[in-house]
Amino acid sequence: MTAAVTTDTELDEVPAADDGGRGAMRRFGTLAVAAAVVVGLLLGYAGGLLTPTFTRPGNNSVEAGFARDMTTHHAQAVAMGLLAFQQGQDPEVRQIGADIATGQQGEIGTMQTWLRLWKLDPTGDQPPMAWMSDGAQSIKNGLMPGMATPEEMKKLRAATGREFDVLFLQLMIRHHLGGVHMIRGVLDEGHDKDVLAVAQIMKNTQQNDLANLQAALKRLGG
Amino acid sequence: MSISTPGGPERRPTVVSTGKKPAAGRPAAADKPADGKAGAGKGTPRPSAGGKGRKPVAPVKVSQGRSWGPIALFVAVGVLAVGIIGVGAWAVYRGSQPWQKRADAIKGVVDYRKKDKELVTGGRHQPGPIKYDILPPVAGPHNDSWQNCMGDVYDAPIANEHAVHSLEHGTVWITYRPDLPADQVAKLKARVQGQEKMMLSPFEGLDKPISLQAWGFQLKVDNADDSRIDEFIKTLRVNASVEGPTALCDQGITATGTTPRDRGGSQMPEQPTQ
Repeated sequence: MTAAVTTDTELDEVPAADDGGRGAMRRFGTLAVAAAVVVGLLLGYAGGLLTPTFTRPGNNSVEAGFARDMTTHHAQAVAMGLLAFQQGQDPEVRQIGADIATGQQGEIGTMQTWLRLWKLDPTGDQPPMAWMSDGAQSIKNGLMPGMATPEEMKKLRAATGREFDVLFLQLMIRHHLGGVHMIRGVLDEGHDKDVLAVAQIMKNTQQNDLANLQAALKRLGG
Repeated sequence: MSISTPGGPERRPTVVSTGKKPAAGRPAAADKPADGKAGAGKGTPRPSAGGKGRKPVAPVKVSQGRSWGPIALFVAVGVLAVGIIGVGAWAVYRGSQPWQKRADAIKGVVDYRKKDKELVTGGRHQPGPIKYDILPPVAGPHNDSWQNCMGDVYDAPIANEHAVHSLEHGTVWITYRPDLPADQVAKLKARVQGQEKMMLSPFEGLDKPISLQAWGFQLKVDNADDSRIDEFIKTLRVNASVEGPTALCDQGITATGTTPRDRGGSQMPEQPTQ
């Protein structure tokens, strides 16, 4: 290039300048491509990093509401299941109690993990059940659908023998019916695939439980 | 000169430039100091000295066009990229503001996790009555039985030794002075009943009408309409737990009374059936 520069004629000068420009362009081009690649990679990385932030369920989403409220709902099933395991007289009642307590406690872990992954608090801003379209009215004295009242829980804790077994089965049947209602809510209105898959499994389990609880209640003549 | 230009000799003599330097085969750039303007052209390798009002304009223009386009493009893309990354990073940072920081930002909250690290160490079971320096207690040793905290509403004072264990499990314990008007108590009750990891009880000798406790945190307020109550619950319920969201709240003591029920040894806690 430097050599080309030395031409001093007009005719020579134009191509010479062209040539020099092309060389610069080539250098600039390499740099540009490198920079473009770097910028592209950074953008892609940032996009990948941020996409979950935009797509994961938000604080007032159906999924977050379900995860929070179902945790509370499940916690009472765990309480009743543990009581059945400890106080039940009928072997099947004790067995079902243990199954429900451990199963639902595990699901609480799953739901709380979702909230943590979504960077959300275990407690929301909205009242319980607000995430379901007809949810708010279903709350009675702070209790979600199917939940036992403090008086009923007190009665259950005090009960023994067949009386306990029957009361447990009755309360747990009602509890599960309420639970299935809430699961339908998230299946109808939720979007997150993982949540929907887990909710479907919860529904299957609770419906199987319901069949067994009802058969046991019939067997015990309750 | 002649060396470099392909087919140079033939075309050569059309016009001769001012002739300062043509003789030497040296790079023009080197001996161009006189021409101030030439430097601007990014080492444009021409001695533009000669041609008055002639072509030289053209190459300069071309080279300018070449550089500004891409530069502008790259600046734009760069600014955009930095902007996107910056906004994203800021959003991520803000969203990930840890709960403790948010709790500290609530006006009036006392953070004993900062003030007294020894006190907030969990897992110290101790039977019998325990003396707490901060009342209502916010952390410290406790009986191995916890107070039931499944949204339980207690209408009489409960034992600190059990309540502290509930705090360790992530409960927000709301206490109120026994003289708090009934409508205020009802508002507190509405926040608690049916909510796991919540419990409510009156507390004798409070210096403020209402006091909220989570493990290592306390907030005292004057009335049940204070919006900080909900902030405290939202930020600290479960989050303040030493043991995570799966710690139990049922299977606890459901009775009221300030005398702790764990006597130590092999004795089971004395839990009246009620």
